[in-house]
Amino acid sequence: MIELVIAKYNYWIYVILMMIGFYAMIVKTNLVKKIIGMNIFQTAIILFYISTAYKMGGATLPIMTDAQAHGHEAVLVDGVINPLPHVLMLTAIVVMVATLGVALAIVIHIYRRYNTLNEDEILKVMK
Amino acid sequence: MKFFGFLITLLTGAVLIYGTLDMPAYGDPDSPASRHVSPRYIEMTEIETATPNMVTSILADYRGYDTMGETTVIFTAGMSCIFLLRKRKS
Amino acid sequence: MILEQFPFLVHSAPALIIVIPLMFALLTPVIGLIRREWTFPWMLLALLLATLFSVTALQDVMRNGVIHYRMGNWEPPWGIEYVVDHLNGLMLVLISATALLVAVYGKKSVEQELPGKEVYFRCIFLLQVTGFLGIVITGDAFNLYVFLEIASLAGYALIAIGEDGAPFASFRYIIMGTIGACFYLLAIGYLYIVTGSLNMADLARLLPPLYGSKVVLTAFAFFMVGIAIKMALFPLHVWLPDAYTKAPSAVSALVAPLMTKVSVYVMIRILFGVFAPSFSISVVPAMKILLVAGIVAIFTGAILALAQKDFKRMLCYIIVAEVGYMVGGVGLANTTALRGAVLHIANDVVMTAGLFAVAGIINYKMREHRLDDFKDMFKRMPFTMAAFATIALSIIGVPPTGGFFSKWYLLQGALQEGSWIFVAALLFSSLVNVVLFFRIFEIGYGFHGDHGHSAGGDGGEAVAIREAPLSMLVPLMIAAATIVLLGFYNQALIGKIIQYAVPVL
Repeated sequence: MIELVIAKYNYWIYVILMMIGFYAMIVKTNLVKKIIGMNIFQTAIILFYISTAYKMGGATLPIMTDAQAHGHEAVLVDGVINPLPHVLMLTAIVVMVATLGVALAIVIHIYRRYNTLNEDEILKVMK
Repeated sequence: MKFFGFLITLLTGAVLIYGTLDMPAYGDPDSPASRHVSPRYIEMTEIETATPNMVTSILADYRGYDTMGETTVIFTAGMSCIFLLRKRKS
Repeated sequence: MILEQFPFLVHSAPALIIVIPLMFALLTPVIGLIRREWTFPWMLLALLLATLFSVTALQDVMRNGVIHYRMGNWEPPWGIEYVVDHLNGLMLVLISATALLVAVYGKKSVEQELPGKEVYFRCIFLLQVTGFLGIVITGDAFNLYVFLEIASLAGYALIAIGEDGAPFASFRYIIMGTIGACFYLLAIGYLYIVTGSLNMADLARLLPPLYGSKVVLTAFAFFMVGIAIKMALFPLHVWLPDAYTKAPSAVSALVAPLMTKVSVYVMIRILFGVFAPSFSISVVPAMKILLVAGIVAIFTGAILALAQKDFKRMLCYIIVAEVGYMVGGVGLANTTALRGAVLHIANDVVMTAGLFAVAGIINYKMREHRLDDFKDMFKRMPFTMAAFATIALSIIGVPPTGGFFSKWYLLQGALQEGSWIFVAALLFSSLVNVVLFFRIFEIGYGFHGDHGHSAGGDGGEAVAIREAPLSMLVPLMIAAATIVLLGFYNQALIGKIIQYAVPVL
C-alpha cells in the first residue's frame, strides 16, 4: 500500500487539484469564480503532465552542459528529464491564458449588460 | 445542484484515480514516456538541430508546427478581445 | 484541374489548406487598415484557395491513396504529420466549401448586425475555419488539441457578439467547451504516459498490447466524454441551443453545421484510428453506449424541437437529434450504418448550413427569427422558400434528396443489427420533422390564423415580393441544389469515397 502511494502520489495530488477546479466550474454561481476554477483545472493538468517528465536517479534539466555540447561527454537519456511534456505544456499554458483572456472579455461584456456577475441574477434578468 | 456537482466531481476524480493505478511509477526512468519518443530528442538535439536546449529544439523544430498553432491561439484570443470589447466609433 | 500543372502545389496541398486561411487571417486586420471593404474579397480569396486545395488533396487521395505530409520533414512519431485519407479529405472539402458559401452569404447580415466590426469578424471567421480544417487534417493527437482550441476560441468570440443574451450563452459554452477540451487533453496525457507517443498512427500501433489496462480504459472514457461535450451529444448538449440561437446569423450558419460534425469526425477518428475497431466493439461496450446515447438524443432532440416557438432554437434541437443519428449510426457498428453515418455528416453539413441560412434571411428581413415570422413568406420570398422547402424535405428524408439516402443506409444498418429501437427513433424523428416543417409551411402560406390585421380583407394579394438580397439567396440556392445532387450521386459518393473512408466491420 505504502509503495503504491509513493509510486502514484503525484498523480493523485493533481487529480485532487483538478477536481477542486472542476467542482468550482460546475457549482459556483459567480462567473469569475467559475473562471478561477477553470484555471485551477487547467493548471492541474499542466502539473500532471510535467510530473510525468521526471526521472528518478539524478536526472537534470534538459539542457546540455558545455562539455556535452562540445562533444567531450555523451548525453545520457537517463541523465536528463523528458523534455517533451514540458514542450506540450508550454503550448497548453498559452492555450490556457488565451482561454482566460477570452473568458474575461466575455465576462466584461456580461457585466456591462447586466451589472452583476451572479449567474442566478443574470438568469432572472434574462427572463 | 451543489450535491449533484459534488457527485459528478467525485465520480470524475474516482475514474481518473482508477486510471492511474496501472501507470508507471512516479519518476520511473524506464517508463514508456521516457523510452519511446523522447530519447531521440535528448541524444540527437545537438546533431540534428544544433540547439543545446532540448525544450527549445522540440518547441521550435521537431514540433514547431504546434508552436505555430500556439501563436495562432494567442492571436485568436487577442483578436477576440478587440472584437468583443472595442466600442463602436460613431 | 489547373493545379495539376504545378506538381509542387499538389504536393504541398495538405499544408496549404491550413496555411492559406491562417496567413490570410493574420493579414486581414492589416488589409482592414488600408481599406475596410477589401477584407471581404480578401476573405473570399482565402476560402476559395482553401477549397481549391482541399479538392486537390481529395483528388490526390482518390488517385494515389493516403497522403502523409511531414511538417518540417521530421518523421512521424517525432515530428507532426498531416494525414489525408478519404474520410478527412471529404471533411476538408465540406468545411472549406461551406465556409466559402457562408462567407458570401454572411456579407449583408454581418454589415447589418455588426456594423463597424466587419474587419475583426472576418479575421476571426478565417481563424475559425483554420481551426476546423486543422482539427480534421492532422495526424497528431496533441496538434488536434491545439487546433480544437483555435476553433473553440474563435467560436466563443463569434457567438458572444450576437444578440441580447449571447455573451452569457457564450460564457456557458466556454465553461462546457473548456471541460471538453481539458478532458481530451487529459486523455492524451494518459495515453502518452503508457505509450510515449502522440502520433495517432503510432498510438494505434502501440496500444493493442495495452488494451485492458486501466489507463487506456480511462483515457478512452475521457476522450469520448470530452468529444461528446463538443458535439453536443444529449445530455451534454445544454450549451448548444442558447449559443447557436443567439449567435449572429452568419456565425450560426458557419458554426452550427461544422462544429458538431467536426466533433463527430474526431470521434470516428479516435474510435477507429487511434483505437482499433476490435477495442471499441469488444473490449469496452462503447458502441452499445453510443447507440443508446444516439437513440436518446434523437428522441429528446425531436421532442424538444416540437416545443419551440423560435425557428433558430428549433433548428438547434434538430441538430441535437441529427447528432444522435450520426452517433447512433456509429454505435450500430456495422459497415452499412457507418457508411450511412458518414454520408449523413456530408448531408447534414449542407442541410443545417442551409436551414440556418434561411433563419439568417428571416432575421435580416424581420430582425427576429420566431416561427410566426414565416407568415406569408411564400409570397414574399418565393425563391428563399423554395430552397427552404427543398432542404426541409431533405431533413424529413424525402427522396430524391440527400437526407433520404443517408437515413436509408442508417435504417438498413439498424435492421441488419436488429436494433428496432433505433429504427423506431429514426421514424419518430422523421415524423416529428414532418410536423415541424409543415407547420412552418402552413404559416408561410398564410393558412394559419385569420385573426389580427389580415382579417381586414386584404388577404394575400397585398403582399409584394421582397426577395432576399442575391448575395444571401445564391448561397442558399447552391446549398439546396447540393443537397439534391448529394441525393442523386449518393452511390458515387459512397462508391468512390466513403467506402474507403470507414473500416469494414
